[in-house]
Amino acid sequence: MLTFRQSHLFRCTFCITRPLTPLLPPSSSHFLPSNSPFFRPKPLSLSSLNPHSNMSTRPSAFDALMSNARRLAGKKSSSSSSPTKKRKSLDSSPTENPNPLKTVGSAEVKHDPEVSSDGIGKPINDSPKPNLDEAKKPPDSKKVKVGSASERNVEMKGKIRLLKKKPADFDPNMVACWEKGERVPFLFLSLAFDLISNETGRIVITDIVCNMLRTVIATTPDDLVATVYLAANKVAPAHEGLELGIGDASIIKALAEACGRTESQVKSQYKDKGDLGLVAQASRSSQSMMRKPDPLTVIKVFDTFRLIAKESGKDSQEKKKNRIKSLLVAATDCEPQYLIRLLQTKLRIGFSEQTLLAALGQAAVYNEQHSKPPPNVQSPLEEAAKIVKQVFSILPVYDKIVPALLTGGVWDLPKSCGFTPGVPVGPMLAKPTKGVAEIINKFQDIDFICEYKYDGERAQVMEFEIHYMENGSVEIYSRNAECNTGKFPDVVAAISRFKKSSVKSFVLDCELVAYDRVQKKILPFQILITRARKNVVVSEIKVDVCIFAFDILYLNGQPLLHEQLKVRKERLYDSFEEEPGFFQFATALTSNDLEEIQTFLNSAVSSSCEGLIIKTLDRDATYEPSKRSLNWLKLKKDYMESIGDTLDLVPIAAFHGRGKRTGFYGAFLLACYDENNEEFQSICKIGTGFSEAELEERSASLRSKVIPEPKSYYRCSEMMKPDVWFETTEVWEVKAADLTISPVHRAAIGIVDPDKGISLRFPRLVRVREDKTPEQASSSEQVAEMYNAQKHNQTNNEDDGEDD
Amino acid sequence: MLELRLVQGSLLKKVLEAIKDLVNDANFDCSATGFSLQAMDSSHVALVALLLRSEGFEHYRCDRSISMGMNLGNMSKMLKCAGNDDIITIKADDGSDTVTFMFESPTQDKISDFEMKLMDIDSEHLGIPEAEYHAIVRMPSAEFARICKDLASIGDTVVISVTKEGVKFSTRGDIGTANIVLRQNTTVDKPEEATIIEMNEPVSLTFALRYMNSFTKATPLSNTVTISLSSELPVVVEYKIAEMGYVRFYLAPKIEEDEDETKPQV
Repeated sequence: MLTFRQSHLFRCTFCITRPLTPLLPPSSSHFLPSNSPFFRPKPLSLSSLNPHSNMSTRPSAFDALMSNARRLAGKKSSSSSSPTKKRKSLDSSPTENPNPLKTVGSAEVKHDPEVSSDGIGKPINDSPKPNLDEAKKPPDSKKVKVGSASERNVEMKGKIRLLKKKPADFDPNMVACWEKGERVPFLFLSLAFDLISNETGRIVITDIVCNMLRTVIATTPDDLVATVYLAANKVAPAHEGLELGIGDASIIKALAEACGRTESQVKSQYKDKGDLGLVAQASRSSQSMMRKPDPLTVIKVFDTFRLIAKESGKDSQEKKKNRIKSLLVAATDCEPQYLIRLLQTKLRIGFSEQTLLAALGQAAVYNEQHSKPPPNVQSPLEEAAKIVKQVFSILPVYDKIVPALLTGGVWDLPKSCGFTPGVPVGPMLAKPTKGVAEIINKFQDIDFICEYKYDGERAQVMEFEIHYMENGSVEIYSRNAECNTGKFPDVVAAISRFKKSSVKSFVLDCELVAYDRVQKKILPFQILITRARKNVVVSEIKVDVCIFAFDILYLNGQPLLHEQLKVRKERLYDSFEEEPGFFQFATALTSNDLEEIQTFLNSAVSSSCEGLIIKTLDRDATYEPSKRSLNWLKLKKDYMESIGDTLDLVPIAAFHGRGKRTGFYGAFLLACYDENNEEFQSICKIGTGFSEAELEERSASLRSKVIPEPKSYYRCSEMMKPDVWFETTEVWEVKAADLTISPVHRAAIGIVDPDKGISLRFPRLVRVREDKTPEQASSSEQVAEMYNAQKHNQTNNEDDGEDD
Repeated sequence: MLELRLVQGSLLKKVLEAIKDLVNDANFDCSATGFSLQAMDSSHVALVALLLRSEGFEHYRCDRSISMGMNLGNMSKMLKCAGNDDIITIKADDGSDTVTFMFESPTQDKISDFEMKLMDIDSEHLGIPEAEYHAIVRMPSAEFARICKDLASIGDTVVISVTKEGVKFSTRGDIGTANIVLRQNTTVDKPEEATIIEMNEPVSLTFALRYMNSFTKATPLSNTVTISLSSELPVVVEYKIAEMGYVRFYLAPKIEEDEDETKPQV
């Protein structure tokens, strides 16, 4: 697009005066009125407030020139604007910033910068008059705001604490330091993050987030989506598969270049501090700048993040680095720290996405102009939080939820944001149990169904009508909403073969299992993961998969989430036809006879399944996305011999091996993940269950992840002194004999015992979970639950009743 | 309507080569007086200012002043398709979101049209104040390029100091140090080979060599380079383009690193 910005033009042709005309008498003619500071003064306020945040005190070596010019100007040109107004106002877009024009006008600069060394002060006849006139007016309006940016930062810092007020006493206008409709400064968000990071109570944090969101809603609701995304530390809904994809190396490079240091300097600081955010915060720039860039806004940061995420192909790392750099050089105060953490997708300030959703719901209630809460709602805030969480589990897309919240209000949200074809919902999860008896106890008088628990890859297979295509498009999503369509082209090609002709669109919840069609045998998960991950060509597939469908969530345009399982099962059986080895329904049994279930479990195990999933059929049997519901229980084959379920744990440290294991790690320190505090809590040391080869392999893969210091979000006892610490990268499935209270480990600390954690006895490595990220490891709550369940069983073998 | 015909097409190619590594995207501003550009690198450490005056073009028509946002990498790709002797014409229609580069071979037997999409770029235009410089050094551009290249193999930064002895370029790195001194030298056969040092006050400044080496990409544009220095001001490295204008690079100096000391307030 061509944009006509005459102002630019004149700035260029007229204002760039010759630096090669020095040694000349000082000339006022080239003085620029303050708010187009070529050489912008250092933002004093920030540096004085926070001497450690040196990104902000990036020196501007041009103050001298500026003041020089000003001094010169002062002598000759009394008409120029006040020299104290230093900073360009925040919102001045290039077209609005008229000062260079004014320079032209007031000084009547030479026409031709090139030949004009002697031409200073010569009036120019052909200076475009209209522009000059234009230029006369706006500076005054600018003056009001000029200089306000730094003051505003101070003001914001002073006021940010008000976010801690109880939402009922909070008025968004108390903290908003920007005009309505003006882009929300990124500093506001950073300061809020900072405030949150110093809090531990979930209620206080929710209040802060809620008040922060309310402030955004009250001033610039357009920025709410970006704010929410940044707070969730995401760039796009999970199923879009868009990720920032930035390694520490790129950040280190960008940081080094942004502040004129060498990479090795940054790296050594990283070693000292263990957190790149803090390094950025403390980075003292040795490189002055031409001009401090305009302050960052939430929208600018978020847009840049999306651009970074979309960068691909040749030189993409370089382009990403440059974009990071442009953000970093503009960051002030505590911004660099949070900028870096967001880029690393390691915000870790102690609030989970669930807290964010709750806060979003509450903020919407306070903002409610659209509709009053339904009269029967007792506590509208809690109800709203619940609604938002629930809607998010069905439609995890902020781009849809946030606008709907703003326009329709929270009470209508479930209507406006329902199940959407093409967006995978979080899979419903099952709670572990310890034995058939427990199931019978739990589901007394309730109809339930037992299904084989296949050892494969959970998937949502969906097909949708597309009007202009005969066949719909098929997509496959993993349990993490990752798009796996490219990984299973065979499934994509085959799926429409199994549906009956009446079926136009559907979403299946199923398990993709490696299958030997010759021997008609289910193959273990380890075989399945040998398949290539993307761009699989059908003709080159060596491992066949069979689809074991067990649930249907959507059929012919109708969401079925709210139907009872019984209904969904009927629909599933009615709509598809089995084809052995390709598409089968999960083997199921409806019974409440203990013996029968036990036999069924045994047969499941003998057909290479992990165990059973037990689901209620018609009571509370709706599909609850992402929930680990009591209405789905899982029973694994090895439940009887040890604790109920395996745990998925993250190795965070290791001890050097001795004897036979010299050269490898001898034992690893494992941790579970505490979602509420966003920290990894040590749970046990593990040294068994490895073959030598495995040990070597694990040692090798973790060796590259060694970090000099434990991360600030690792929780473990000081008594524990591992030889090396790791970055959290892998997830290991671990089986143990028992859970015990431990003075050494920190898992689920505060849940079961106020200052003791839980540890595992006799842990053994089962396998490495390639499909899980460290944050998806077993949570502290799960650990606590398992501990409690075990305690129940030990003390009271008869009846464990309704535990939580 | 915009139509700029440049007989010496290679000049535009050279200009692009000189600046495209420093700046990714930039607005070209076109007015009745000339074709110009001002842009900062992504770190806001360096600034490039380009001016090609209208008189330098064989034909220059610019009805309204316009600003065209271009990706310099893409523009350079297109200009690389022009032969060195080709005549280049830049064309744009009012309100269009593309710009056309037309290349005519000197014998007029080949005419190529390349159309490039324009982009919307937020650019920050800075007025650049006139300043007195403490010292001005004019020297052969190739010599300057050589010095910067050589020093970069030793260290990351260059200290440029001008005293009455001459101008000294020095660096320090892990493997050792390097010092190069040039004295005033006007007794040469060709004027462009002269080294001329004008000095009001001694001055010594430190710069990142990475940027200096990026500036020297403009060496093909001019036989001489002029370096203007003042303490604590950005250095100006200027390459004149004969009868047309200039490319000027401004570079903010580095500050002495004192790890433990808090920055003095300015």
